[in-house]
Amino acid sequence: MNGAFIIASKDLRNIFVSPLFYVVSGICSLIWFLLFSSRLADFIFQSSMQMMQSQGRESGGLPVHFYVIFPHLSMVNLIMIFAVSAFTMRLFTEEKRNRTFDLLLTAPVTSTEIVIGKLIAGVGTAWALLAIGALYPVSLAFFGAMDWGPFASSLLGLALLSAAYVAVGIFASSLTQSAVVAVVLALVFNVMLWFVGVLADRSSDATERTIIEHLNVGEHLQNFMKGNVSLSGVVFMLSLVFLFTFLTRQVVESARWR
Amino acid sequence: MIEVRGLTKSYGPHKAVDHISFSVRKGEVVGFLGPNGAGKTTTMRIITGFMPPTSGTASVAGFDVFENPLEVKRRIGYLPETPPLYGEMTVEDYLRFVARLKKVERSRIASLVERAIEKTQLGEVRKRLIQNLSKGYRQRVGISQALVSDPEVLILDEPTVGLDPRQVAEVRTLIAELKGHHTIILSTHILPEVQATCERIIIINRGKIVAEDSLESLGRRVSQSQAASRVFVRVGRASDDLKAQLQKIGGVRAVQLKDADRYEIDTDGSKEVAQAVAGVVVTSGVGLLELREEAFNLEDVFLKLTTSEESQLKEGALT
Ligand SMILES: Nc1ncnc2c1ncn2[C@@H]1O[C@H](COP(=O)(O)OP(=O)(O)OP(=O)(O)O)[C@@H](O)[C@H]1O
Ligand SMILES: [Mg+2]
Repeated sequence: MNGAFIIASKDLRNIFVSPLFYVVSGICSLIWFLLFSSRLADFIFQSSMQMMQSQGRESGGLPVHFYVIFPHLSMVNLIMIFAVSAFTMRLFTEEKRNRTFDLLLTAPVTSTEIVIGKLIAGVGTAWALLAIGALYPVSLAFFGAMDWGPFASSLLGLALLSAAYVAVGIFASSLTQSAVVAVVLALVFNVMLWFVGVLADRSSDATERTIIEHLNVGEHLQNFMKGNVSLSGVVFMLSLVFLFTFLTRQVVESARWR
Repeated sequence: MIEVRGLTKSYGPHKAVDHISFSVRKGEVVGFLGPNGAGKTTTMRIITGFMPPTSGTASVAGFDVFENPLEVKRRIGYLPETPPLYGEMTVEDYLRFVARLKKVERSRIASLVERAIEKTQLGEVRKRLIQNLSKGYRQRVGISQALVSDPEVLILDEPTVGLDPRQVAEVRTLIAELKGHHTIILSTHILPEVQATCERIIIINRGKIVAEDSLESLGRRVSQSQAASRVFVRVGRASDDLKAQLQKIGGVRAVQLKDADRYEIDTDGSKEVAQAVAGVVVTSGVGLLELREEAFNLEDVFLKLTTSEESQLKEGALT
């Protein structure tokens, strides 16, 4: 597994010295900032209205988690799909185009180590971006309005889910030499993941529905955001990571046989 | 050190490498020589474990390339046709990465990187980004990465491509220096390269070994079977009569008329032949303008062996 860390540290280093990471995370922060601040302003306005209406009477106010943090984290999730695809697209395509893949394939490392290395690098990058997204809700803690429990479980859900996006992106990247094709493939795969949930609503058969509901990414993420950390949710997301990592390993291994 | 037995690689119906067998002893420098598409790169890729053969076996230091790929890869430094470089890394960082990837012990990494930089004279660009280097420097970084793990076996696919003449000479000196310490296989289409660096050459054509021997004996064998030297004669006006006369001289193997006024005469290499040719031309009165004799060199050997009509040479006189 040592080989995986060597490859991961090389890739992380190359990602963090390239402008791509900073451009993408800059754009993401800007979007998040705009949406978060307008939602927060809206929330403050609404709750002060409510306070005025309920003058004198005891009032719990509006829960900030559901009105500000929850929508913000949903937005973080949406943006992560695109941002992660942008970071992961080059992880294999660049190696193939520069012929550095030849170096990896003739080095004393296994295909599994190569793929795990890429996964670590991709997940590291995705989590760095996720941390930026999480900074906005954390800023609310200064005003003492923070509900840490659901926030932490939301972050756990997002961290697991973005690892799955990374695994999907790396898989897409292993299939082609073109970064553009890799991004498109990654987005298609991710959209397909989310569409499983739509199928659940359509299905009439009861057992079919429960099975599909277990495969519903949106459902699992909702649970995390509500503060329910379920074993099935964690297992589901980890198995997505495992599945796509395994597929990537097969692709890399088959590249040795051509 | 390297044992290759019955190696075959097919791409569909096309055989890129066709039942090749050879072995390389420890410390030997062997040159792979052959025209484009001969199968040099394919053979090297199989030995490095980059891809499997269709049939046959290869082993390095006693380890089979397919049963024990990691052990083999640990012992090989490989320069592919296109140097595998990360443009966004500096030369130093890149070499350190390759050393770690090749599982060099931590304590040796710094000194081996220094050694590789020094041997390939990359000192002045060590802190530069690889993407900003010229093609020749990149090729040197490629050689450097093959060396950096201090491997027992070096496999260099066209190591001097893209280098200026001085660099070519320096790389050849480097290979000569590495001789003995590493076992080296290098491929090239440039003959002076093998002449300058290799102890033994393996000539490949269309996926088959057409000759395998030390330099001198290869040259000698070809001279025995063919011609040892060639006499060039330019005359005022050519005539068929003269050609017939030249052919009669003892020691002359073949006479060819080129460009209306020039004859190329293959001889057995004895001194008297050139004299006799001069005598015949002068007495025939066609006017002798030029006469020179050239010994056959490896270039001719190569061309003879790799042009298909001469392939029988191998079965006939050569082996
Ligand atoms: N991936 C591939 N698919 C199909 N054919 C291939 C492939 N790689 C090589 N070949 C064929 O195999 C043959 C040998 O190629 P190889 O690259 O080994 O030649 P070479 O001796 O290295 O030539 P050069 O001197 O041009 O580098 C060629 O006819 C080539 O077209
Ligand atoms: Mg080649």
